[in-house]
Amino acid sequence: MPATLALAWRLLRGGGGRGLLGSALTLAAVAVSTGLLLFAIGANHAFQQRSQADAWRHPEKAAAAPAAIEALSTDYVRGRPISVVDLAALNGSAPVPPGMPHFPKPGEAWTSPALGRLMKDLPADRLAARFPASAGTLGRDALVYPGELVIVIGRAPADPAMTVDRNASESLETTAGPVRIDRFPTAGSSLSGAYRVLMAIASVLMVAPLLVFGGAAARLTVARRDRRLAALRLVGATPGQVVAITVAEAVLTAAAGAVAGLLLYAAATPALVHIQIAGGGWFAAHLWPGPLTVLGVLAAVPVLVGVSAVVGLRRVVVSPLGVARRETPPRLRAVRLGALVAVLVSFGAVSGSLMSLGRAALVVLLVFLALAFLTINLAGPWVVALIGRATVLTARGPARLLAGRRLLDDPRAAWRTVAGVALTGFVAGFLALLNAPPSLSVDGTRDPHALRLNLPPARAAEVAEQARHRLAGTGATVAVKEIKAEDDPLAEHGTVTRKGVVTITVPGGAAPTDRARTALAGLVPGKVATSQADEDVYGNRLLGDLRTGALTVLFVSFLIAVTSAGITGASAVLDRRQTYAMLRLAGTPLGVLDRARRQETLIPLAVMGGGSLLTGLFFAAPFATGFGTPGLLTLVVFVVAGFGGVLGASALSRPLLRSVTTDPAPRPD
Amino acid sequence: MSLPAPPEAVLSGHGLVKRFGATVALDGVDLAVGRAEAVAIMGPSGSGKSTLLHCLAGITRPDAGEVRLLGQRVDTLGERRRSALRRSRFGFVFQFGELLPELPAEENVALPLMLGGTSRREAVQAARSWLGPLGLDGMGHRRPGELSGGQAQRVAIARALVPRPAVVFADEPTGALDQATGHDTMRLLVEATKHNDASLVVVTHDPSVAAWCDRVAEVRDGRVQRIR
Ligand SMILES: Nc1ncnc2c1ncn2[C@@H]1O[C@H](COP(=O)(O)OP(=O)(O)OP(=O)(O)O)[C@@H](O)[C@H]1O
Ligand SMILES: [Mg+2]
Repeated sequence: MPATLALAWRLLRGGGGRGLLGSALTLAAVAVSTGLLLFAIGANHAFQQRSQADAWRHPEKAAAAPAAIEALSTDYVRGRPISVVDLAALNGSAPVPPGMPHFPKPGEAWTSPALGRLMKDLPADRLAARFPASAGTLGRDALVYPGELVIVIGRAPADPAMTVDRNASESLETTAGPVRIDRFPTAGSSLSGAYRVLMAIASVLMVAPLLVFGGAAARLTVARRDRRLAALRLVGATPGQVVAITVAEAVLTAAAGAVAGLLLYAAATPALVHIQIAGGGWFAAHLWPGPLTVLGVLAAVPVLVGVSAVVGLRRVVVSPLGVARRETPPRLRAVRLGALVAVLVSFGAVSGSLMSLGRAALVVLLVFLALAFLTINLAGPWVVALIGRATVLTARGPARLLAGRRLLDDPRAAWRTVAGVALTGFVAGFLALLNAPPSLSVDGTRDPHALRLNLPPARAAEVAEQARHRLAGTGATVAVKEIKAEDDPLAEHGTVTRKGVVTITVPGGAAPTDRARTALAGLVPGKVATSQADEDVYGNRLLGDLRTGALTVLFVSFLIAVTSAGITGASAVLDRRQTYAMLRLAGTPLGVLDRARRQETLIPLAVMGGGSLLTGLFFAAPFATGFGTPGLLTLVVFVVAGFGGVLGASALSRPLLRSVTTDPAPRPD
Repeated sequence: MSLPAPPEAVLSGHGLVKRFGATVALDGVDLAVGRAEAVAIMGPSGSGKSTLLHCLAGITRPDAGEVRLLGQRVDTLGERRRSALRRSRFGFVFQFGELLPELPAEENVALPLMLGGTSRREAVQAARSWLGPLGLDGMGHRRPGELSGGQAQRVAIARALVPRPAVVFADEPTGALDQATGHDTMRLLVEATKHNDASLVVVTHDPSVAAWCDRVAEVRDGRVQRIR
C-alpha cells in the first residue's frame, strides 16, 4: 500500500504542466462544492441557532416551583417591531436570562445595542419615553440577529403588566404570557419553524446539483488519467492496484480541495452575514456548524470523490483496452427517460391533493424534488445522446458534425458540462411560481395605519377617554366600537366573543404615530396599540424572505452551474488536446474548432435547460401564488444569464484551446 | 552538401535552420521534391528528421532559410494562410493521433473536404470512393477504435489524399505496425500518392521502405549528409 501511495503521489506531481492544471481544476471544483455544502449546512444550522436564541422569550409553564413571571409583547417604532420582555422575580432563585449578568430588578430596563442606539437617536417622545431608562445593554445571547430591537423590563410581580393576558386578542406569536416560569426555555421556538422547512427545501435545491457537480469533478480526475491507467493495466498492474492508485490520487486532490473550500466559506461569511432574513442579518458564529460537523464534511467530501472515482474507473478495470481504444459506445437505454416520466406522472397524480396533506405534504414535496433531480440527471445523458444523433443527421458543416459526433460519443461528459445549468433551470422554474407580489392585500375599508386596542367591552369607553386625554392637542381622533370577534380577522377564535375596539387615527405618518404610541405607553398595562400595517410587517417580511431565499438559491445554483461549465469545458479541451492539435495540424482554423466546442455545449444546453425549466414549473404549479411580473422576470433573467454565463465560462477555455494547438507538431502525450 | 533543386520542384527548402534552445535541430538544410516524386528521409534518432518535415509542411516556422511551394514562399505566410495551405495543398499521415476517435472512418476521410467547403453529401461520397481502392470496403461506418492498426493507417492515407494535395507528408507512418503490415501499408502509400500525381515526403527507419522511394535524404546532426 505505501508503494501504491508513493506511485499515486508521483503520478500526481509528475503529470506535467497540463496534468497539474487538470488536478487544479478538480481541486477548484471540489473547493467550490465544499464551500457551498458548508453554506447549505451552515444556513440550516443558523436557522436552528436563531430559533434557540429566540426560545427564552416564549415562556413555558414551570414544571417545578415557579421562580419568576415572564411575558412577551411587541411594540413598534418606524414600522419595525421591538420585542418587549417583561420579567418579575417571585423569589431569590429566579433564573438569569440569557445575555444578562443577573435577573433585572423592578424598574430596570436592558436594551439590545440597536434599540439603545435608536432610543438615543430619536427624540424621547418618539421612543425612549415608552420604557424605563436603560440600565444596561443585552449581550449577544439574548438576540436572534445582530440588529434586533429587544428590551427586557424588570417589574414587581404585582405590576399590572405582569397580570394582563397578552394572548387575549392577538393571533401572531409576537405576544405571550404572562406565565410563571422556573427557567427559560432553550429548546427552540416555533417562530422560525416555517423558515427551517423552507431552508430544508432550499438545501435540497442547492445540494442536489452540488452532488452531480462533485461527482463530475471526481470523474474528471479519472477521465484525464484513464489513458495512463489503461497503460498501467496493459503493463500488468492488477485491477486492485489501478483502483488504489486512482482513488489515492483523487482523494489527495479532493482533500486539498475540501480544505480550500473551508477557507472559501470562511472568506465568504463576512458577506453572507448581510443576507437579510426574518428581519435582519446573521451572527457569523451562527453560520458555522459545530467543529465536528465541519470535520465530518472535510472527511466526507474526499470519501465521496473517491467513491465517484471508483465508479468512473469501472470501465478501465473491466477492460484494459476499453479506454485506450475508442469504440462505439453502447446506446444508453430509454429506461433513463422512463424514470423521469414516471416521477412526473406520479407527481401529477398526487399534486392535486398535496395541499390537503398538511405537514406531510412538505415531506412528499422534498422527496419528489430529490427524485426529480435524480431522474433529470439520469435522463440528461440519454437526451443529450438523442440531441447528438439529431445533430449528426442534420449537420451540413464540419463544426456541427464534430459537435454532434462528440455528443454522441460521450453523452455523459457532454451532460456534465450543462448539467449544472440545466438543474438550475429546474430551480428557476420551481421558484418563479413562488415569486409572489411583494405586498399583502389590505382590507380597504379600514385605515391600515390606525392604531387599535382590543379590550373587554366594559373597559373600552374608559380607556378611550384616557387616550383622548393623553393625545389632546395632537390632532389624533379616538373612536370606540363594539364588535363580535368573528368580524375581526385579527382576533383569535373562541377567546373573546365580544370586545371593544379603541381605534386611534393619527394623521401625519410614522413620526406622529410613534409619538402617539409613546403617549399611550402603559395606558393598558402589557398591551401595545398596533395597526394593521404593523401586523402586515410579518406577512410582507415572509414574502420578502421567500424572494431573498429564492434569489440566494438561484445565485448559488448559478455559481455551481457556471463554475461547472467552466471547469468541464477546460477539462474537455485538455482531454482532447491531441485531437485538437491534430485538427490544427491538418489546417483546421481555430474558429471552426472553437465553434464546434461551443455548439457541443449550447445545443444540449438549450434543450436541457428549457426542459428542466418546464419541469420545475410543473413541480411548483400546485403551490402557485401567481405568475406575475417578478416570476417572469426571474425566468428571463435566468435564461439570459444562463446562456451568458455558460458562454462566458466556456470562452475562458478558448485561450487554453489556443495554447494546446499553438504547436501542432504531433508527439506522444 | 546540397543539390540544386530540380527545375520542376514542387516543394523546396533552402538553408533551413531550426533551434530549440541550445539544441540545433536543423543546421542549414536544402531539400527539393519534384512533381509526383517520393523522397524518403532517413537518419538516426534525434537527427532532425521530424523537424525538417514540420518545417517543410508549414507546421513549424524555421529560424532561418526559406520554404517554397511551386516557387512561392510559404514560411513567411501568417498562421492563417499556412493553415489554409495545409488544408488545401498538403496531406498528412502520422504515427499516432491522426484520426478523430469520435468520427466513423468515412467521415474522418470526408472532414478535410468539408473543412474546404464541400457539402457533406459530396464529401462523404468522395470519401467512400477512396475506401474501396485502399481495401477498406464496408468499413466506412467503423470508428478508429474498431479498426486494426493497418486499417486505421489506410484510412489516414485516404484522408491525406482526398483533397488531392500537392504533397503528402508522412512521419514514420508504419512505426506502430508489424513489419509485414508496415510494408503493405507503405507500398500502398507510395503507390497511391504517385497514382494521384502527388509528391511524397516520408520519414522512415526502414531501408526497404526507402528503397521504394525515388530518392533518399540522409539526415545527421541537423544536416542532409547525402541524397541518392
Ligand atoms: N519541441 C521541441 N522542443 C525542444 N527540443 C526539440 C523539440 N522538437 C525537437 N527537439 C529536439 O530537436 C532534435 C531533433 O528532433 P526530431 O524530432 O526532429 O528528431 P527525429 O530525427 O525525428 O528523431 P526520431 O527518429 O527519434 O523521431 C532532437 O534533439 C530533439 O530533442
Ligand atoms: Mg521523429
